[in-house]
Amino acid sequence: MIEPILPPSTHEFADIIHRLESGGAMLPDTPENLMQIIGLYKAYAVPMDFYWRDLLYIAEQVFLDPLPAFKYFLPEEYLELPNHYAGDQADLRIWRGGATAHPELRQFMEKGELRRSLPKLAHHLWHDRINMEFAEECMRAMLWHRNMGGQLDAYLDSEEYRHNADRAIRAYFQFNPVMLAFYKIFPDMFLEQCRQSTMTSVLGLFWEIMAPVFFEMSDLYDEGKLTSVPEAMNFLVNGIFAIAGRPIYHRVRIRGTWYDIVPHSKGFTWLYEAAFPYVEAVFYRTSPFRGTKSYNAQAKQIPADQNDFHYGVLYADKFPVGSAGIPPTLLHQDMFHFLPPYLTEYYRQHCRGEDDMLIQLAISFQRSMYCVTSAVIQAGRAALLYPLDDPNPRHRLANRAYFEGQLNRFCRREYGMHQAARLKAIQSQTYR
Amino acid sequence: MPTIVDIAVTNDAFQTLVTAVKVAGLVDALASSGPFTVFAPHDPAFAKLPPGTITSLVQNPPQLARILKFHVVAGRYTRDELRHCSQLTSLEGTSVDLYDDGQTFEVNNATVLAADVMADNGVIHVIDTVILMRPHWFAGIMAAGRTDP
Repeated sequence: MIEPILPPSTHEFADIIHRLESGGAMLPDTPENLMQIIGLYKAYAVPMDFYWRDLLYIAEQVFLDPLPAFKYFLPEEYLELPNHYAGDQADLRIWRGGATAHPELRQFMEKGELRRSLPKLAHHLWHDRINMEFAEECMRAMLWHRNMGGQLDAYLDSEEYRHNADRAIRAYFQFNPVMLAFYKIFPDMFLEQCRQSTMTSVLGLFWEIMAPVFFEMSDLYDEGKLTSVPEAMNFLVNGIFAIAGRPIYHRVRIRGTWYDIVPHSKGFTWLYEAAFPYVEAVFYRTSPFRGTKSYNAQAKQIPADQNDFHYGVLYADKFPVGSAGIPPTLLHQDMFHFLPPYLTEYYRQHCRGEDDMLIQLAISFQRSMYCVTSAVIQAGRAALLYPLDDPNPRHRLANRAYFEGQLNRFCRREYGMHQAARLKAIQSQTYR
Repeated sequence: MPTIVDIAVTNDAFQTLVTAVKVAGLVDALASSGPFTVFAPHDPAFAKLPPGTITSLVQNPPQLARILKFHVVAGRYTRDELRHCSQLTSLEGTSVDLYDDGQTFEVNNATVLAADVMADNGVIHVIDTVILMRPHWFAGIMAAGRTDP
């Protein structure tokens, strides 16, 4: 129990500030919330096991293929690629399970939703597969919203990066004079494609860790060892610290030789060059809706400053469009295939049962991402500020300013951000 | 006078730091003429990090070196010389925030336990917490908070 030494907060979300100050999450601690978020972590981890493998495959081997028609056809080599954080040979074992592709993933890849073993191409064209479009949309969000923290962003514009990219591009197109000629005419276009490939690697390395974290949380919950939302959040906080120093890099394999584009030796880390930028770009910002809903940029319905974009999962109106753009609904479809039975049963009992299960799970997913964001906020507080029980009032005030500053992002009136934010909605179970 | 490295090696309170500096390959750099100002976390500071943090850093020397460089500033700065200074740029490239009200001397979220340990090639300030880089948006978040820290 942490003794409060400050007067109560007068913030619009004072209750949530006090909850964060006492070691809680933005999401209320209820068994129903815990069940939903853990179930969704499990349902997310299985497709994520595909996402990170395929992202690394695209970054390392597909690279600048001008017609990458088969980039989602993951070769066996990458399904067998051992996760660095699972299995017996792990650098740091986070999940007690195996290091290669998850059995449920392999089963789904074999028969899909149709439950029939058809040629891979048939499953692909029928969209009966893992939807990598979602993963690529997240990668693009990270590319568009540059300078979200860390030093990788500046490195992408450096002479050293340009030199490394140039070496790899020339090697990749060594026997393709047409592409080499294009490279000579449009060098910056190729360089930008290379940056996109780097960001693909960054996201792959980021998710390589999140998948075993979520699998382990699901197992702990099933064993009765995770019993509250703060426990779930703290598992994530400890995980964030444990893997903070994991290297972030980008290398490409061309005809059997590895080319470093962002070498290990730059010292880029998981926390600074992947996790912080991911949360800032994907959870908060992403990009405006496309296709389903129109905005008038001239009428200032879209922020002039890209930093004020607020189309991420924390602001998403899940009912009409899922979130920013179509891809998140593809994620919902992916997660739908791997829901634990207790969650399927839960959704059957609410709203329209099976008919709106995708919406219901999308809202549970939103709750689970508020929990992840809480973990990032608490990890940031622990790393950059003070312990929650710090006896120094000045330190406690700094922690409060940090929490209030974070929650202010859900209160801003510009562009109706306060209405879009779902922080208030997730406080109640009637939002489903 | 001994160098920064000599002082750290002969002091039992810096065993983890010395190991980390060796693994990161920074011994020669810190034994060079400098001068440097080193904010040196003592062993209990490392022990405060959650389990696994040190393990994963030790497995990756360049990443460890980056965190350690954040604890080093070019130039020799005693506490007195820093009294009116609110920020310094670390060798890692990110700024460290300083606070001194005459009684408490703080570096980011660490408190200086012993200031002005003089070495031949610089000065050591012993700190109670391992400090980590604050992303550029951190200042904006703090400013947006309604309570002045």
